[in-house]
Amino acid sequence: MNIIKYRWVWYLLSIVMVGGSMLAVLILGFKEGIDFAGGSMVVLRFSGERPTPLQVEPVLAPLKLGEIVIQPVGDADLSIRTQALDEETHQKFLAAFKEKYPDMAELSFDSIGPVIGQELRSKSLFALAIVFIAILIYIAYAFRKVSVPIASWKYGVITALTAFHDVAVPIGVFAILGRLHGTEIGTSFVAAILTVMGFSIHDTIVVLDRVRENLGKTSGIFEDIVNRSLNQTIIRSVNTTVATLLALIAVYLFGGATVHDFSLTLIIGIAVGAYSSIFISAPLLVTFHRFALKRRQK
Amino acid sequence: MSKKFSTTSGVPRISVKRRTALIAVLFIIAGSLTYPGPANWLIDQTNNALRTHFGHIDKPFVLGLDLQGGTRLEYEADVSHVSSDKQSAALDGVRDVIERRVNAMGVSEPLVQTARAGAAWRVSVELAGIKDINQAIKMIGETPILEFKEQNNEPARTLTADEKKKIADSAVDAKAKAQAMLADIQKDSSKFEGLVKAATTTSGIVPNPAGSDLGFIKDNSQYQNIYAAAKDAKAGTVLPAVIEGADADYVVKVVDTKAAGQEIQARHILIQWAGASNAPTSTTRTKAEALAKIQDIKKQLTDKNFTDLAKKYSEEPGANITGGDLGWFAKGAMVQAFEDKAFALAKGQISDPVETQFGYHLIFKEDERASQDVHVMVMGFKKIIESDILPPQDAWKTTDLTGKQLQSAAVEFDPRTGVPEVSLQFNDEGAKLFADITKRNVGKPVAIFLDNQPISVPTVQTEILGGKAVITGNFSIAESKLLAQRLQAGALPVPIKLIAQQSVGPILGAASVSASLKAGLWGLLLVSLFMLFFYRLPGLISIGALGMYTFISLAIFKLLPVTLSLSGIAGFVLSVGMAVDANVLIFERLKEELKLGKPYALAMEEAFKRAWLSIRDGNATSLISCFVLYWFTSSVIKGFALTLAIGVLVSMFTAITITRNLMRFFFTPAVVEKFGWLLFVPRKPAVEETNKPS
Repeated sequence: MNIIKYRWVWYLLSIVMVGGSMLAVLILGFKEGIDFAGGSMVVLRFSGERPTPLQVEPVLAPLKLGEIVIQPVGDADLSIRTQALDEETHQKFLAAFKEKYPDMAELSFDSIGPVIGQELRSKSLFALAIVFIAILIYIAYAFRKVSVPIASWKYGVITALTAFHDVAVPIGVFAILGRLHGTEIGTSFVAAILTVMGFSIHDTIVVLDRVRENLGKTSGIFEDIVNRSLNQTIIRSVNTTVATLLALIAVYLFGGATVHDFSLTLIIGIAVGAYSSIFISAPLLVTFHRFALKRRQK
Repeated sequence: MSKKFSTTSGVPRISVKRRTALIAVLFIIAGSLTYPGPANWLIDQTNNALRTHFGHIDKPFVLGLDLQGGTRLEYEADVSHVSSDKQSAALDGVRDVIERRVNAMGVSEPLVQTARAGAAWRVSVELAGIKDINQAIKMIGETPILEFKEQNNEPARTLTADEKKKIADSAVDAKAKAQAMLADIQKDSSKFEGLVKAATTTSGIVPNPAGSDLGFIKDNSQYQNIYAAAKDAKAGTVLPAVIEGADADYVVKVVDTKAAGQEIQARHILIQWAGASNAPTSTTRTKAEALAKIQDIKKQLTDKNFTDLAKKYSEEPGANITGGDLGWFAKGAMVQAFEDKAFALAKGQISDPVETQFGYHLIFKEDERASQDVHVMVMGFKKIIESDILPPQDAWKTTDLTGKQLQSAAVEFDPRTGVPEVSLQFNDEGAKLFADITKRNVGKPVAIFLDNQPISVPTVQTEILGGKAVITGNFSIAESKLLAQRLQAGALPVPIKLIAQQSVGPILGAASVSASLKAGLWGLLLVSLFMLFFYRLPGLISIGALGMYTFISLAIFKLLPVTLSLSGIAGFVLSVGMAVDANVLIFERLKEELKLGKPYALAMEEAFKRAWLSIRDGNATSLISCFVLYWFTSSVIKGFALTLAIGVLVSMFTAITITRNLMRFFFTPAVVEKFGWLLFVPRKPAVEETNKPS
């Protein structure tokens, strides 16, 4: 399979995906969860018939909680998001429900003050940056001995580019999901993104590593060597990804609503990561090489 | 040929076997830790057969709040008034206070942690299985209160004229009521019980009707007045006068009487010797001299002059006034020798000298009578007394010295004895107050109260200037540390504010446990099937390695222990994917090496060697992510990062070391020859490819 030959097709596809994601983020923005924005989230379970959000609103009206977002979850649950409640208001809130719906039980209650929200947000961004930089440094170190015919820092740049690519797509998907289904992003989303980043880089490294190895022991046209390396690793890439996705799909299907979004982020990110390590990272190596050659010829 | 195969691996067969045995042992240990059922059964059998007493393997998983249900509270401590070098200690104190408060509510194993978030300090409190979170929040949020108190010696406030009048009026009133009632009853004493019952609804009647039957009261000092008046009455009579008690006036009916033995009235003369009990040190006479003296007195004695001679000679303190009068007493009141003699005397008789530990006695029995115990019913008419108006006083009196003026508290050691003690340092205002307090209370105790509980009551030795005090006592080092910490916490004004709260109900917790268990099992199953399908016999080996990976990881989770949360379990399941990845890399490499026509054992070793670089780099990046996640993020993600990191590390061991060894062990040349098609061996030896120049 000559992947390198059709590289512009893959580039185009990726530009569409990443560009679309970025547009989605810019236009739609995110729905931030309470751990970023602050506020309270109550999840209630109704063992009888679950009331609709419209039925619930009048129950809470006397408490004057300001803006309330009520969403059905699963078969029997309702999640209600409000401004940050103190414990007293929280108890009043529950009492109001208990009166109207005696068969209601509180599954969980989270309340995050605005201070913590700010802090979690900046901490998450900080963590993202640190992971990114640390991994780049590691790659530059691991590939330090291979600088012919491609400088080792270029491996690092390519790895960073594909990592960005793999992270951009699930972020875009969640921006769209946020608009369509009210899916929120919070700390667990950031954790998933960081994990995707780790996986994506892992994947890319395996491919580049094979290129590195073949460059050292065979001779021939650069494109051919890269293409041969790709074909040698493609089955591994696919199989690894399938195995990991199988584990993740099990979590997505059976792990409960709490880890639903988390596993979805990972599934999207890891699938895209496998794609990019095959169809983007190695072709980029060729493009970089050609660009360097042209400059040298000038 | 076969010999060549086994030597190319470079590892002697015997050490492969040994390592495989080691792996089997590891499997059993990790497996037993994770799932102790079979091991415990075996232990039971052993204990029964050999009469040994090995304990069961009983190490539970530590479940996070999201799995077992509970509440996590996060507070921000306001340390703006605390100098930066003392903040850490202040926070430790806050943690201690919170721990004590939470423990007082009966919550099991609260987890209280402090952490720094930029310039701010955070305290997080995890309460598993708590019911009344509202109360918990209230209790935790209070700032500890430290107070110094001194003994309350102030005389009670005196009664005002009004109050005195009130008391006097009520006494008159009660007496009038009691007398009216008595007059009524005296007409027909059988009405007593009925009237007591009827009085139920009337206020001011004591004790209440149910308690109006006092029973036999001889030994009950509370009713001394009543006994004194009733002791000679006959059963069934109502006492002819109202009896005045301390807080009520009583109308009394004697319900029953019973004989209570003899009582006698007697006088005595005591002569002591040196060394007798209670003898003053000035006493110099010997026992023989004492006997001679008392015999001398006896000669002069008659029943007429006994009182006078007792006043003159008796060495009992006060005898010069009482004339040796002992009043009425029953058996059991005096020492045995004395009692025996006194009761044996006839009325009006004087005894011979009687020896007791106090000296020699001469006893004069003046009178003798039968005593009785009486069973009474009473109707009491309550009167207002002083203690009703002025409540009993607090033993401790608040001073102006509180935790506000305490600058620091620290553990110190007495330079002479090495005993730990707690030193207190007050600020200027506190030092002045403390000097005043200690000056007032030399030789008296001063109490240190924390949250209204006395935690230390040292006695003041001298007036203390300079605002430095030391609390000594029988403290262990740990106790004095705790005390210093408590004082420090009480002393430092570190208010805390609730900024985040997460509660998970027990329903959701239980559902999450079963959901994640299901997810984990399905994940393992799907991955196993996939590996078996794609990689056949080596796939089977990798499933074995995956089993090892699961057991070892879970055993580590139990041993460390890792607190398992939902995200933690997700991390674990995810690392299953990573564990498999290493094997996929190796097996793919193995296929390639075999295509080059290399003999199986050599190809196997090559595959491991070449795949290692990729595995190392890949896992290193994952570990970097894990470490960053662990250090820079909040607790939810920490769990994920930790289990993922443990999973990655364990998977490197299982997927490489264990898989390699099991492959060396099982894929002997004979097996390769027979089952080559299950082991990726190409059908046709690819001789041409190997000859290609590379």
